[in-house]
Amino acid sequence: MIEASGLRKTYGDFAAVVDSDFAVDDGEVFGIVGPNGAGKTTTLKVIAGLVEPTAGEVTVAGFDASDPEMRRHLGFLPEESPLYEEMTALSYLRFFADLYDVPREVADERIGAALDRLELDHRERRLGDVSKGMKRKVAIARSLVNDPDVLVYDEPASGLDPVTTNSVLAFTRELRETGKTVVFSAHNLYHVESVCDRVVVMNEGRIVARGSVDGIRERHGETTYRVFTDTEPTATPALADLDATTEEVGDRYRTAVPTMDAVAAVREAVGEAGGEVVDIRSREPSLEDVFLDIVGRPMPGRYTGDLGGDGTDAESDHDGDEEETKTTKPATTEATE
Amino acid sequence: MTDRLRRVGRRLAVGVRRVLRVARWETARASGGVDRRTLAAGIALLLVAGGVVGVGVATGVAGLDVDRDVYRVGVDAESPYAEAIEEAPSLRPVPGGTASLGDSTDAVVVTVVRPGAGDDGAIDAADVDEVVVRATDTRKGEAAAASVREAVEARNERVLRAEPNRTAAFPVTVTLRYVGRTTGFDDGATLGGSDGGSTGDSDGDGGDESASGGTVTDADGSGSGTDAEETGSDGSSATDSEADTGSDGSPGDDTTAGRTDGTDGDGSTTGGTDGTDGDGSTTEGVDSTDDGADADDGFAVPSIGGGAFGANTVGSPGSITPPFPFTSLLLAFAFLVPMNFLIQAYGSSILDERTNRRGEPLLVTPLSPAEIVAGKTLPYAAAAAVVTSLIALLVGGGALSVIAVAPVAATFLGATFVGAMFARSFKELTFVTVGVSVLLTTYAFVPAIFTNVTPVALVSPLTLVVFDLQGKAVSAGEVLFSTAPMAVGAALLFGLGLGVYREEDMFSQKPVTRKFLDALAVRLAPVSAGGGLLDRDRLRGLGSVAFLTACTIPFVFVAELLAVAVLFALPVTVSIPVLLVTIAFIEEVAKSVGLYAGFERGVFERTDGVGVGDADAGDADVGDGDAGDAGVGDGDGSLRVALAVGIASGTGFFLAEKATAVVQAVGLTDLFLGRAAFADVAGLSGLPPLALAALFFAPLVLHVTATTVASVGASRGRTAYAVALTLATLGHAAYNVGVVSLG
Repeated sequence: MIEASGLRKTYGDFAAVVDSDFAVDDGEVFGIVGPNGAGKTTTLKVIAGLVEPTAGEVTVAGFDASDPEMRRHLGFLPEESPLYEEMTALSYLRFFADLYDVPREVADERIGAALDRLELDHRERRLGDVSKGMKRKVAIARSLVNDPDVLVYDEPASGLDPVTTNSVLAFTRELRETGKTVVFSAHNLYHVESVCDRVVVMNEGRIVARGSVDGIRERHGETTYRVFTDTEPTATPALADLDATTEEVGDRYRTAVPTMDAVAAVREAVGEAGGEVVDIRSREPSLEDVFLDIVGRPMPGRYTGDLGGDGTDAESDHDGDEEETKTTKPATTEATE
Repeated sequence: MTDRLRRVGRRLAVGVRRVLRVARWETARASGGVDRRTLAAGIALLLVAGGVVGVGVATGVAGLDVDRDVYRVGVDAESPYAEAIEEAPSLRPVPGGTASLGDSTDAVVVTVVRPGAGDDGAIDAADVDEVVVRATDTRKGEAAAASVREAVEARNERVLRAEPNRTAAFPVTVTLRYVGRTTGFDDGATLGGSDGGSTGDSDGDGGDESASGGTVTDADGSGSGTDAEETGSDGSSATDSEADTGSDGSPGDDTTAGRTDGTDGDGSTTGGTDGTDGDGSTTEGVDSTDDGADADDGFAVPSIGGGAFGANTVGSPGSITPPFPFTSLLLAFAFLVPMNFLIQAYGSSILDERTNRRGEPLLVTPLSPAEIVAGKTLPYAAAAAVVTSLIALLVGGGALSVIAVAPVAATFLGATFVGAMFARSFKELTFVTVGVSVLLTTYAFVPAIFTNVTPVALVSPLTLVVFDLQGKAVSAGEVLFSTAPMAVGAALLFGLGLGVYREEDMFSQKPVTRKFLDALAVRLAPVSAGGGLLDRDRLRGLGSVAFLTACTIPFVFVAELLAVAVLFALPVTVSIPVLLVTIAFIEEVAKSVGLYAGFERGVFERTDGVGVGDADAGDADVGDGDAGDAGVGDGDGSLRVALAVGIASGTGFFLAEKATAVVQAVGLTDLFLGRAAFADVAGLSGLPPLALAALFFAPLVLHVTATTVASVGASRGRTAYAVALTLATLGHAAYNVGVVSLG
């Protein structure tokens, strides 16, 4: 549905996107991940035909991205979506439907369905008077008035409260089920993980990793085991070799180790101290960890709160207090796939 | 062919439909932006303003003057001044017998009678020796005395006007005949309007003091009451060529200035003012301006006597005023007022799209930027058209007024559009709209003041409105001359703004100057040092340079006309040199600023290697391997680029300049300043064809050479550009001086 080859965009001396190639299949939710300034938004704007690439080609639904006809097949949700605040939600959406030559009856039907699904009330209220979440939902509804094949969403849940965020992410997942192709960017990796089939990781304008979320996690992440004991383990030589740290958590002690053999070493050490293991939990790597592994620095502005969603963390204990313990590695610019 | 036409027609229809859709929604949106309370407050304010005006008018009609009975004046009922004081609203008569200066009155009228008068029991006018007005030695007393004097003069005037024997009342009839500025260097030398008067003096007509008009003194000793009123309505200069036989005694006068005409025994002729008795060279100007003058009932500012002294009224010589089309000009100005409100709303709407990226979703629709802008502009243009038509109806204007104001409105909107596209905030937009308002109002209004005085007035379309209100016919050439530059300028302004109506520029916070350069650069195609001389891409690039420069012509034209309009009132010794340098500067900037933008934005290959001959070239990518190849070690190559674009720009300007031949249509170049401004190889008919051809192409050589100098500077950075531009300007100014000297 979307093909980009040799994509490059520069502003003066600044290279926003450098030699990017990727393809998005029909009905796929495709994520673009990266920190601020990584080139995500520029890439999305090139796909939407808003920005002309310096080099390379992008086709969307068989049309060149610069072809105005392509826009009939595209719905775009910018990162910021201030609306015409003096208009009501209904009149605003009808306006855009009108620009896409959508007959009024059809437009009203689509608008009604989208707003119902997004649980948007106050359709006759001026947009200047509704909440940010409501505005975002109106913007999402706007992207659907022309019933596009491709949806390009730039940070759709950015700045929203958890409830609205979940609603928006759930809606995006539903779009996949209706056969829409969605390109989705976020610097909040949880959002991407919860929605996307495949992702590319961008950094400083380049794609530095790509593949399915699980595949990337497998290549760039490590499963960790957290061993909870009732006594602090003795500092045995085996435990010292693991370079494991132990933290006191309430009335228990938690030791994070990378393998099951290491778990055995912890068990032995705590036995020497006269205690015992009371719990063992495993934790799958998140894209956050993957990004850290690839780029060598933490993802800026990452989400660390509890979204209540179906995160990929194998544990329900997504308290996010252990990510900072990871050491950094040198950056790599090699794509892994 | 038919299919193609059908396709074009279909595309056009789709485009129009889209524009109308955006326009409809823009209207709804704009109206939604004003809440009911604000609207109600606005209407209330208008009603209050209207009420105040209405009350003012009503009180004026009812005689409820605010200055009523300000001064108390002691006057006897028998005093010859009694009625005058009684009729003056500001004066309250107090019976002379009870009046005490300083206590009960501010002034006292004392009638001194001849000795022995009144012995028969009555004092009549013949008994009065003199009338003295005494006032208190205060400022109020002085003002009271002045008011008494004015009241008496006004009454005298009324009495004289009411006199059936008007010849007795006005034994001397002065017919004013206003003439347009005449041509030739001498006229330029007498800037300030003494051209008529200077020669009029020699006619012995008493020295017409009119700033720019001649005066005919009709020594109508036996007339039957025919006066200037008839003269004014006549307006035909051909009616009294016999006037030359009058007592003028100076048939050799070379202007249309007045002379004493002693032959009009019955006074029914019209002043004998054809002005053809001299060299005849100025007859046309006389006729045209005279017609206009006669038709404008409010031709002059109010005179001291309180009434408008025009061609169809009477009054004292002190009331004579220059031919200032006060009423028409004031009414014409009314057309400009609504524009200032419109551009506020329009500019806000455009900038509103840019702030917070509100308009970004529009750019993802199938609509083109031109369709979006046209749709957003249409409601405001329509509003301007409706308001203009209504004003025309109200003030008595016709289609000419509406046609004349249309390009002004378009320019207001175009300039505001560009300003709103360049402004970074509403604060900047405020400066922009105020700047647009002041500049365009000045451009439209100031030249129109000189309607009937000089052809330069036609620089402004508002002059056409003045003519329309005066009922004067204008030629198609004059309409074209007045309106075309602004109309084309408006179109180009929209084109300039549209260049940056794209995501990359709309939402960025660049300074205005950088955006201006971006808007120019986006219209240029790359020119690199490589490739053959006639390489297709190179020709395309050079063609874009020539076209862009050619597009600056309307702005150059407008700027030069404005310079002429501003400078023409100065003495020639000052105005001509300043004008020549100013014009050289305007043209050199116009030719080279696009080139500077091209080099700055990397569209043209630059000596320092910043650009790589690509529209997106600032992207010399460090990882690319090609980076820095172009330019650094290739100074000759980039010099070639600078020379090529300089030649292309100079040529484009030369060709477009020839389009200003419309100037000739209205004879602006007949005016000395006009000739200086739009210098050509005029007045060289005696030269051989080869020399004429050489001189015809001299401007081409000038433009190419000067622009190439500036271009080389532009290719080397801002400072070098400034220096090169100065050199080019000086060279160009020297050329202008040479041409004017030859002319």
